[in-house]
Amino acid sequence: MTELLVKNACVIDPLRSINAETMDIAIRDGRIVEEVSGAAEVIDVHGMLTMPGGVDSHTHICGTKVNFGRYMSPEDMRAGRTPRRGPLHATSGYSVPTTYGNSYRYSVMGYTTLLEGAMAPLEARHTHEEFIYTPLQDTMANTLFDGNWGIMEAIRDGDTKRVAAIIAWTLRAVKGFGVKLTNPGGTEAWQWGKNVSCIRDPVPYFEVTPAEIIRKVIEANELLHLPHSVHLHANNLGTPGNYTCTLGSMGLVPDLNKKRQTLYATHVQFHAYGGSGWPDFCSKSEPIANFVNMRPQIVMDMGQVMFGRTTTMTADGPMEFNLYRLHHEKWSNHDVELETGSGIIPVIYRRKNLVNSIMWAIGLELALLTESPWQCLLTTDNPNGAPFVRYPEIIALLMSKKYRDAEFATVHPDTAARVPLPAIERELDWYEIAVMTRAGQAKALGIQEIGKGHLGPGAYADVAVYPIRIDEVDPSVDHQKVIEAFGQTEYTIKRGRVVARRGECLIDGSNATFWVKPKVSEAYDMGKDPDFIEKFDRYYTVRMRNYPVQEEYLNRNRCIETEAEI
Amino acid sequence: MKVTLAMKPTARSFIPIEAESIVPKNFLAGTDLVVWRGNRELRLDEVFTVTVEGHADRSENVEVVLSGDDTFRLKRVGEYMEAGKITVLGNIGMHCGNFMTGGEIEVRGNADGWLGREMGGGTIICRGDAADYCASGYRGGRKGMTGGTVEVFGRAGDFVAEHIAGGTVIIHGSAGDMPGAEMHGGTLTVHGDCSRPAANMKGGSCYVFGTAQGMLPTFRKIGTVQHEGRTLIRFVGDVANRGKGNLFVRDYVYLD
Amino acid sequence: MIVKDAVCPFCGCLCDDIEVEVDGDRVVAVTNACELGTKKFMGEKRLKNPILRDGDAWKDITYDEAARYAAGMLLSAERPLLYGWSGTHGEAQCVGVHMAELVRGVIDNTSSVCHGPSILAIQEVGHPGCTLGVVKNRADLVIYWGSNPIDAHPRHLSRYTRYAEGFFLDNAFRDRKVIVVDVRKTETANIADEFVQIKPGGDYAVLSALRAIVRGKTETIPRTVAGVTREQLVRVANLCKGAKFGAVYFGLGLTMTRGKYKNIRNAIELVSELSRHTKFTISAMRGHYNVYGSNEVNTWMTGYPFGIDFSRGIAFYNPGETTAVDILARKECDAALIVGSDPAAHFPRKCLEHLAEIPVVQLDPYPNATTAFCNVQIPVAVTGIDAVGTAYRMDGVPIRTRQVLSSGYPSDREVLLKMYTLMQEGKGQ
Repeated sequence: MTELLVKNACVIDPLRSINAETMDIAIRDGRIVEEVSGAAEVIDVHGMLTMPGGVDSHTHICGTKVNFGRYMSPEDMRAGRTPRRGPLHATSGYSVPTTYGNSYRYSVMGYTTLLEGAMAPLEARHTHEEFIYTPLQDTMANTLFDGNWGIMEAIRDGDTKRVAAIIAWTLRAVKGFGVKLTNPGGTEAWQWGKNVSCIRDPVPYFEVTPAEIIRKVIEANELLHLPHSVHLHANNLGTPGNYTCTLGSMGLVPDLNKKRQTLYATHVQFHAYGGSGWPDFCSKSEPIANFVNMRPQIVMDMGQVMFGRTTTMTADGPMEFNLYRLHHEKWSNHDVELETGSGIIPVIYRRKNLVNSIMWAIGLELALLTESPWQCLLTTDNPNGAPFVRYPEIIALLMSKKYRDAEFATVHPDTAARVPLPAIERELDWYEIAVMTRAGQAKALGIQEIGKGHLGPGAYADVAVYPIRIDEVDPSVDHQKVIEAFGQTEYTIKRGRVVARRGECLIDGSNATFWVKPKVSEAYDMGKDPDFIEKFDRYYTVRMRNYPVQEEYLNRNRCIETEAEI
Repeated sequence: MKVTLAMKPTARSFIPIEAESIVPKNFLAGTDLVVWRGNRELRLDEVFTVTVEGHADRSENVEVVLSGDDTFRLKRVGEYMEAGKITVLGNIGMHCGNFMTGGEIEVRGNADGWLGREMGGGTIICRGDAADYCASGYRGGRKGMTGGTVEVFGRAGDFVAEHIAGGTVIIHGSAGDMPGAEMHGGTLTVHGDCSRPAANMKGGSCYVFGTAQGMLPTFRKIGTVQHEGRTLIRFVGDVANRGKGNLFVRDYVYLD
Repeated sequence: MIVKDAVCPFCGCLCDDIEVEVDGDRVVAVTNACELGTKKFMGEKRLKNPILRDGDAWKDITYDEAARYAAGMLLSAERPLLYGWSGTHGEAQCVGVHMAELVRGVIDNTSSVCHGPSILAIQEVGHPGCTLGVVKNRADLVIYWGSNPIDAHPRHLSRYTRYAEGFFLDNAFRDRKVIVVDVRKTETANIADEFVQIKPGGDYAVLSALRAIVRGKTETIPRTVAGVTREQLVRVANLCKGAKFGAVYFGLGLTMTRGKYKNIRNAIELVSELSRHTKFTISAMRGHYNVYGSNEVNTWMTGYPFGIDFSRGIAFYNPGETTAVDILARKECDAALIVGSDPAAHFPRKCLEHLAEIPVVQLDPYPNATTAFCNVQIPVAVTGIDAVGTAYRMDGVPIRTRQVLSSGYPSDREVLLKMYTLMQEGKGQ
């Protein structure tokens, strides 16, 4: 039995409505408990800001396309190299660090739980292998269904239950957590070099529309009672005027779940653009935020862009090709048979570039115009908008109008006429930041019940102590202190152990992977469905028996079983 | 101030020594520097007999002289050099003058690969031959050399001035395969022959005063021009891409 | 006993539909595999236990003794080289990386002598590719450039291209065109619809010319380019532009000939250019069954796919300098651990001269040409036959190989972990 007592913590724990109460946190054997014995190790944090460990509900850290981003970028790897030290392994990279680089840097910032945003089922084993080498965070993977042939055929046949059955079989096979749609229908069209422009365009051959895919997969997701909702990267990312497409997609979403949203719309900054082309490109954050404010069934994340170099990577292959044609940088693409695709290019977001400046403003606007912080979570779509190490700056921008104005003065001068940001006075408070970086993320992922994102008894003892006293620091003026505090915890505690302290990781760690196994009736077990088996054998290049990811690939195996309605 | 580093002969004679600490600026604070042989850290005086004459308070006034038979094993000498002078009496190992922004390096013998990689300014003179990737970029990087001058009096190996974006490279002898590959700025001059110059160039100027062997088929011939008293044939390309570079050659041979 | 859906640990096709009939600890029949795969499953004679060189003779030693020898050798070296890795499973490769960073050595895999140049090209311009099934189901044009699958990847044609069924092709054999580009008329060229014969060393020029033609700059191109007529070049360019889905597969004939990575870069840029007109992809025909896995493992753990030098603690990557052939030829290492490869069979004489000078430990299921240079040889299980483990197919699809029989040999991972544990103790960790 190991016990730890974190004393005099100034706790913000939004899932329990605790706002800056000074209290002690008792930990036994990796879980939060009511109290510990006198033998417990004691850490006195002297009133420092203490929150549940950070949760990132949309990041790209592990798997085929992330690794290809590394593989093709030795110039990126030159930044951020550290040698092996004690139990810590060597790291390399800035925008796409090695697995250890990601894990150590996230840990130093207080993050203990990460959701890989896009895993192609056929290559799931790769994602899980990298999870093992991401030792300081618990991990889970969104599984891609945007171009799944079986699902599109079932939708064409009007068989929502079969859609659910295919999702159930696949999640179980690949040890996936949630259902991800990336440019639904577009990734299949891209295997012909084509795309869908918005939700009403039919997918070549399959003759279903993105709107049908979105709606039916949402229904299927709820039939399976998955912890997380459908996680949507909408069609038409990154193009001027795409906000109407985004609103159209959001308009498809019924309110089907009492505990959480019915749709998680990811990196909405990239989907909130006005204008008919680049010359009149402008922000449409207001209509998007207004729409979300009226729809509790929708949660989004920011997808904030920060200036500097990074690498863009997404399952949205056609979008990356369009970016390549704009930038003429190196371009990688990787289509995955019967399922999905991906693309990668490096980019530099520049302050002197009007489009980039508007993008930067839009992300902030979404967060500031969305009334409830539970509905707009803090992300950069790491590393697409910026590497996650930029989160502290984003927090400071959201908390300080003064800092925003100072930064705004350095961006392209025409930006002011294209964005509402300068007129927005709102400054988020510590509680709202806690929602946007852990509590809201855990709720949106549906993992609060298994003990993530809060500090209630029974929860995983994942705690972040930041070296700042919120009664002494005014974030609206001391933005530099905010950046420093969120950049480096005083203590990061993971499963009851101190894993990072003042910028240094202390132990090698051992992650757990959460995945979902929906229990379906015999009739809906695709593993026994003759048509499913026949198609698999004929058109996949991997045998069906060799497709599932064995449990050997899970370091600490945390299976969440659900009772499906099929 | 003149710092003389006479390299001692050592038993494990082939393990390379990484000596990026050998830049003029570092000697302003003394000679208490380290170098690395493989994974072992060594004091400078374990590898060299160190002699210091005179005194300086600015890098500009520091000259480092490297001597000995084994200096070809020294890598990264002059890395990030900003000012001052380094003279290598014999041959020098890989990566000499990488990222250099100012000052002068003179190599009296031959230079191994990656001489002046990603150089931004200053001057490198190599009296002997330079091996492959002289004045080039790094793997995966878009920009190679961006400024300064590299002058090689002997021959250059393959891929000289690969990815060059600015600055001047002059090879007095012949060059190997693909000089100026991917060049998008700057000037490369090869006095002798070479093969397949300026492959996939996007911008900049490449002069070949000898014969371009294996001339690539994707350069558009414009006509002849006079250049420094020579008659050269001017091409524009590379039309395999949207290139707008200038390639001048005395004569050329296609691989037809 | 018959094991179904076994995974063939021979080439980068990583065929996973093999049926292996086992009688006790012996494979007696193999179905579905090509000749190369069948031979691998049927096995060769193995050592019974690790052996240590003792003057001119060999002495039997235990696995513990062998591990101690290797750990001591690596710990005392100033620049150890850990080479090979394409013939073992990913889990062992991971241990190898940890060993290299611990002792501050150089870790390199066989891609430095096969598709290393392809990787360098990808690092310059990226890689528009796809999984093999995308080609199988869609491609109406396949180009084999400098590769001869009939010899090197016999089932590539039947599983993925020429003879494969395709979802979007009514009659795949008829509707799918195959172009072969090579310096000589290979067996694969005999089954092609179009054969383009290039003079040796001319691939780069031909690729440049094709790019220019696709860009509408035909008038710049001379009448012949490296032995290929302009008419044929235009015909090939039109076939490419007219295809619904084109796929290029290139081999060492493009990667390891004059210009090396620039050839591959040019081919990739041709494909990127064609992507403006239609769907086109390009991929390398990777050789060893898990060479791609060693690139993947090295990349997520160190940031670089091969040729990683940890001498200074941080990872440094510079193929041409930090790659095994270059290091050995320049005598820049003082010990070598060889895992899952046979450098003595492939490396230049100069490299072998240095290999003979330094202590060498090899892990391999079978004695091979490198054994002659070893101080210690450690027999291990064969991944995919008597050990399980992860391998990455040439297109990046990871597959878990199956164990078809039990032999009692330890896996590479087990032996390496034993060494690594000793090395950690040696380092006081």
